[in-house]
Amino acid sequence: MGLFTNFLKKFLKKLFKKKREIRLGLYGPPNGGKTTLANKITLDWIGEEMGKVSTIAHETREIQIKEQITIKSKGKELTFNLVDTPGIATKIDYEDFIKAGLKEKEAKKRAKEATKGVIDAIKWLDDMDTVVVILDSTKDPYSQVNITIIGNLEARKIPVLIVANKIDLKKSDVKKVQAAFPQYDVIGISAKYGNHINNFYEALFKVTNA
Amino acid sequence: MPHQCVRCGKMYDDGAQEILKGCSCGAKMFYFIRPEKLKQIQEQQERAPLKEKEQVQIEKDVYDLIGDEIDKEKPVVLDIESIEILKPGKYKLDLVKLFKTKEPLIYKLEDGKYMVDLVESFKKMMGKKAE
Repeated sequence: MGLFTNFLKKFLKKLFKKKREIRLGLYGPPNGGKTTLANKITLDWIGEEMGKVSTIAHETREIQIKEQITIKSKGKELTFNLVDTPGIATKIDYEDFIKAGLKEKEAKKRAKEATKGVIDAIKWLDDMDTVVVILDSTKDPYSQVNITIIGNLEARKIPVLIVANKIDLKKSDVKKVQAAFPQYDVIGISAKYGNHINNFYEALFKVTNA
Repeated sequence: MPHQCVRCGKMYDDGAQEILKGCSCGAKMFYFIRPEKLKQIQEQQERAPLKEKEQVQIEKDVYDLIGDEIDKEKPVVLDIESIEILKPGKYKLDLVKLFKTKEPLIYKLEDGKYMVDLVESFKKMMGKKAE
């Protein structure tokens, strides 16, 4: 009887798991390349871009979702809903946007929306099955934002893959990112040019247990 | 516990009639000031006081951020430990607190007086949007 119950449990679990959609969240500080990576993934697998990218921080201020993306590698398939989130920051200052060329009114509106965006991103965290944290590998990985995001994912037991983005830039230092988060898989890529993107897809299979 | 009018900056003690009826300047929104923060806020006010225009803008921004959750005619007390609005367009976020907040959204303190947690209000607002 016990054996049969176990079998039934496993069977039902498998059935349930198969039907459930995986939510894959892209998280990280502003301007790390979350939307650039989202665009790369959607372009590669469904032939269309997901969102607008910009050199001015906080371009993505609302959660963006692209459903039913199936990626394939070595005979395996993985289907997920991709969730691109606004950048998480500890300080949002309209003057930074003015320096980047925006007018005051527009800059203040952007700051208000970006603040809402941070809350939104944090609120959605509990709904994620797997999270890819995208970091700019030219920047110091030991920031409060990075540590807080990754620490909270760990506390919620959400599987994490870290992407050290922008390896096409001279100042990029993937090893430094790896040293900062030694317990995680860290994949160095350039989302913009597609460098090592296959390593990223392979790592996605691993982290989602597909 | 002191309360500060968001629009004119005037301080009121807990239980003051103005908190229930609205500040003498006409505003009905107050910051809830924790004792440990009181000195810091007073110093900041003396050092770089906000212009009236800026205070009115902050009041408007907060109403924008919390959406239609609250009745604008009734006094509201904001507990914004996790988000500080230093000036219009300048926000300071306490991520550790933001990630941890699991408190209820709007506490009704007395008739017509509510305590709003900005963070939780955001969550509710966004949740509604997503449905």
